[in-house]
Amino acid sequence: MTSTLPAVTTPKVPAQRTPVPHTGSTPRTTPSRLRTSRADLILCGVLLVVVMTVQGWNIADYPTLSDDEGTYLAQAWAVQQGEGLAHYTYWYDHPPLGWIQIALLTWIPAALSPESMTVGSMRIVMLLVSAISAILVYVLARRLWLPRWASGLAMLLFGLSPLSVVLQREIFLDNIAVMWTLVAFVLAASPSRHLWHHFGAGIAAAAAVLTKETMIFVLPAVLITMWRHSHKDTRKFAITGAVTACVLIGLSYPLFALLKGEFFPGAGHVSLWDGLEYQLTRPGSGFILDQGSGSYGVLQSWLYYDRVLPLGGLAGALLLLITWRWSVTARALAGPAFTVAILAVVALRPNGYLPAMYVIQALPFLALVLAGGAASVAHGVLRRWRDGEEKEYVTRARYAVAALLVAASAAYVVPRWYDGDRTAVTADANAPYRAASKWLATEVENPEDTRVLVDDALWLDLVHAGYRPGLGVIWFYKADLDPAVTKTMPRGWKDIDYVVASPTVRRDAVDLPNVKQAMEHSTPVATFGKGEDRIEIRQITGSTASATGTAGTAAGGDR
Amino acid sequence: MGIWGDLLLTSVFIAAVSLALFWMAAFTLWWQMHAWRTPEVLASTRFSRPDGGEHLSFSLLLPARHEQAVLDHTIQRLLESSHTDFEIIVIVGHDDPETTEVACEAAERDPRVRVVVDTHEKKNKPKAMNTALPHCRGDIVGVFDAEDQVHPELLAHVDHAFRSTGADVVQGGVQLINFHSSWYSLRNCLEYFFWFRSRLHLHAQKGFIPLGGNTVFVRTDVLRAADGWDPNCLAEDCDLGVRLSSIGKKVVVAYDSDMVTKEETPGSLMSLLKQRTRWNQGFLQVYRKKDWKQLPGFGQRLLARYTLMTPYLQAISGVIIPLNVAVALFLDVPVGIAFITFLPAVTAFVTFVFELVGLHDFGKQYGLRVRFVHYLKLIVGGPFYQVLLAGAAVRAVWREQRGQNDWELTSHVGAHLTDVEALEGTEATEAAAVANRGSREDVPA
Repeated sequence: MTSTLPAVTTPKVPAQRTPVPHTGSTPRTTPSRLRTSRADLILCGVLLVVVMTVQGWNIADYPTLSDDEGTYLAQAWAVQQGEGLAHYTYWYDHPPLGWIQIALLTWIPAALSPESMTVGSMRIVMLLVSAISAILVYVLARRLWLPRWASGLAMLLFGLSPLSVVLQREIFLDNIAVMWTLVAFVLAASPSRHLWHHFGAGIAAAAAVLTKETMIFVLPAVLITMWRHSHKDTRKFAITGAVTACVLIGLSYPLFALLKGEFFPGAGHVSLWDGLEYQLTRPGSGFILDQGSGSYGVLQSWLYYDRVLPLGGLAGALLLLITWRWSVTARALAGPAFTVAILAVVALRPNGYLPAMYVIQALPFLALVLAGGAASVAHGVLRRWRDGEEKEYVTRARYAVAALLVAASAAYVVPRWYDGDRTAVTADANAPYRAASKWLATEVENPEDTRVLVDDALWLDLVHAGYRPGLGVIWFYKADLDPAVTKTMPRGWKDIDYVVASPTVRRDAVDLPNVKQAMEHSTPVATFGKGEDRIEIRQITGSTASATGTAGTAAGGDR
Repeated sequence: MGIWGDLLLTSVFIAAVSLALFWMAAFTLWWQMHAWRTPEVLASTRFSRPDGGEHLSFSLLLPARHEQAVLDHTIQRLLESSHTDFEIIVIVGHDDPETTEVACEAAERDPRVRVVVDTHEKKNKPKAMNTALPHCRGDIVGVFDAEDQVHPELLAHVDHAFRSTGADVVQGGVQLINFHSSWYSLRNCLEYFFWFRSRLHLHAQKGFIPLGGNTVFVRTDVLRAADGWDPNCLAEDCDLGVRLSSIGKKVVVAYDSDMVTKEETPGSLMSLLKQRTRWNQGFLQVYRKKDWKQLPGFGQRLLARYTLMTPYLQAISGVIIPLNVAVALFLDVPVGIAFITFLPAVTAFVTFVFELVGLHDFGKQYGLRVRFVHYLKLIVGGPFYQVLLAGAAVRAVWREQRGQNDWELTSHVGAHLTDVEALEGTEATEAAAVANRGSREDVPA
C-alpha cells in the first residue's frame, strides 16, 4: 500500500515554487490596458475615421465590379432566400462559410430594401469588415509590443495603401478571411495568456480557413505567435487546445459533405473530393517572375496600385527574419514576418495558380512588418548606444537623421498614394454596368420570359428587374459547365435571347462553346463604355427562343 | 404530413438534448481546466513559501483499522515532519488488537503520538474521528489515512497558508501515483490530478467545496462548532466541506506536486466500483441534506447542485453522447440538426485531448515516465471507464433508493450504514471494510 516511487519525493522545492515570471520579453509599453488607454483609443479612433473615409467614399463606383464579387454576393442572396448554399448546384468550389457571413452581414439592408442586394451597393458592408480588420491590426501591433506611433503607422499602411483601398472595397472572401486571421493572431498574442483565448485563436483560425481555404498557409505563423506569447507552464495546454479547436472546427466542412453524401465522387452528384481535385489541379498561371506569364501579370497589377506596401513589406520581412537573433523587434514580429515569408514562398511556386486576390491575405502582415521595421530603424537612430552623458550635438544629429528619413519616405510615398487614393474616391468605373443594368431592366419587354447570359456581377441586378434567377438570367459559364443548366438548352445558343458581353464574358467565351456560339450569333443592340472595358448587350439573331417554358422546373439541378 | 411532423419533433428533441449535453460537457471542461487558464492562476494554486514562523499547533488524526502492516511506517514519516508543534492521534477500534498494538508501541516511543480507542459497535471513519475530536489539543485538526505518505514540509506550508490567508480550512493535494498498474488506475490517477490540481481550486474560489478525505486541515474551534463529521454520511468529507463553505467559512486549496499526499488506486476493478458507488451515494446524501441551499449566491447554489449531481449526469451523458452521434449519422435529420448533435461529441473530444496533455504534465510533475502505450490506454480505456462510472452511478442510485426507506425508518437511530450493508449480504464484510477503513477520498468527477 505504501509503495510509491521514492525518487518522486525528493524535494526540488525551489524550482517548483518560483513565482510566475512576467512576460518573456520586456514589453516596451504595457499592452494589457488597451481598452482603457485613452491615448490608444483616441489614436485608433482618429485613424479609423481617416481610413474609413478613404475606403468608403465612392466605394460603389470604383474599382470595376468583379465577376467574383457577383458570385459571392449572389450565393449570399441564395442563402438569404433559403435556397441552400447557391442558386446553382453548390459544387464545393470553396467552403461556404465566406458567403454565409456575407449573407449575415447583408441581411438587414437586404431585408429593408431587397433591390439594394447588388454588388455596387452591398460593397458598403465590406467597410465594416475593413474597419474591424484595421482595428485588429492596431491591437495586434500593440500586443506585439510595437510603440503607439508604429501601431498607428501599421494601421495607416494597411488602410490607406491604394492597393488595400482597391481590394478591400471588393466583396471578396479573402477580406473576411483576413479579418478572422487577425482575430486569431490577436487572441494568440493575448497578454493574459488565457487558455481559452488561445482556444479561441484556434477557432478563429479555422473560421479563416473555412472562409477562404488559402488561409491554411498562414496557420504556422499563428502557431509561432502563440508559442512566443504563451508561458512555459501552461503552453502545452494552450497550444494543444488551439490546434484541437482548429482541427475540429475545420473538420466540420468534410463532415458537412459526408452528411450530405457528397464527400466521395460518384455519378450524378458533386463531391468535396472533386472540388478539391479541381482546386489542386487548376491550370497554373506560370512563374511569378517570368515575364509574360499570367502570374507576372497579376504581380504587375498589384504593383500598378502600390509598390511601397508589397515590396517594402517583403523587404522588411526578410530583414526581420535575418536579424532574428539580434533584434527584439524582429522576434516580436516573428508571426507577421513569417506569414509574409510563407505567402511569398507559395507565390513563388514554379507553376501554381495565382489569383488576383492572393495579395489580400498578406496586406495586414506587410503593413505590420513595415511598421515594425520603421520602429526598429527609429530605435536604432534615436536610442541605440545612447547614454545619459551623450553630447547634445550627437542627440541633435540623431533627430536630424530621423527627420530626414521621415521626410524622404513621406516624399516618396505621399504623392503616389495621394494619386492612387484620389482615383479611388473620384473615378467612376462602373457607369457601363449601371447603364447596362438599367437598359435590361427597362428596354426588355418580358423579363420573366427572357433568357440572358450575364457575368455574375450583373446577375442580381437582373434578378431584381424580374428575370428568373438561375435559368432566366444565367451565369454565362453555367450554360456550358452546369449540366442542370445545359439540359434546359437543348438547342444550344438558340434557346438564349441575350448575351451581356462584359470584358469577363468576352475573355472566357473562348473556352465555352455555348457562350461562344451565342456571341457569334448575336448583334449588339446597346453598347456602354468604350474599348476593352465596353459592355455590349447582344441580342441573339435567327431564333426566337423565349418562353420555351421547359426551363422552369429544374432550377438548382439535383440539389 | 405525419412523417414531417415526426421528423420535426425528433429534430427538436435531438437538438435540445444535444445542446443540454453540450453545455454540461463544456462547463465541466471549463472547470476541469481552471488551473491552467493563465500562468498566474496556475502559480496561485501552489502553496506559497513558508516564512519560517510557526505559530499554530496541529492535531493530526490517523484513523487506522486492520492496518497494522503500514501504520507504523506512516507514523514514523509523520514524525519526521519539520514542524515543531504537533501531535498524532491514532484512532483504533476496540475490536482490533493488532493495530492497537502497533499504535501503542509508537506512542511509547514518542510522546507526540497518542492513541484513542473507538468503542462504537458499528464502526466507520466519521465516528472514529468524532471520537477523537474532544482529545485534540492543537489549533488545527488534520486528517490523514493510515497508508498515506506525507511530505515532511507539508505542515510548515499549511501553517503558513492558515496564517497568510486567514483560512478556516486548508485542503492539500492528494494524488494517486500508480498510473502504470492497470488501465483503470491510469484514468483514476488522472481524475485525481485534474480534481486536486485544478477543479478544487475553482470550488475554493467560488466558495463551495466538497473536501477530500485526507490532507485536510480545519481550525479546531470551527470543526467543533460544526459538530465534527456526520457519522451517517457515506461521504462525510464532502459533507463537511459543503457544510463549512455553506456557512461562509473560508477554504483554501493548495497543490504542490512535491507536497501532495501520495496514494494508490484500489486494487481491483470491483473495489474501485464499490468505492465509487460509495462516493456517489455519499454525494447524493449530501445533496439531499440540503445544507448547500444556505449558500448566498445563485451561481454558488447552481454549482453545488451541479457538482453533487455530477456522477449521475456523467452516467447519463456517457450513454447519450454516442447514441446522439449514431442518430445523427443514421437517421435522416436535416444537416443543421446533425451538426448540433455533434457538439457534445466535439466537447468530449476536446476533453479527451486535454486529458492526454494532462497525462503528459502529470508525468513531468512527478518525474514519471509516461510511455506511448499509456496514452493509448488512456484513449482506449476512456469508453470503458465511462461504463464503469455509469455502473457505479446506477448502483449508487439503486442502493440509495433501497436505503431510502430504511433511512426514514431508522434515521433517528443513525443506523443507516448498517442497514445498507445488511442488504448486500455477502458484500457486507467487504463494504464494511471499505467504509471503515475510510479508504481514500474524494474524487467524484
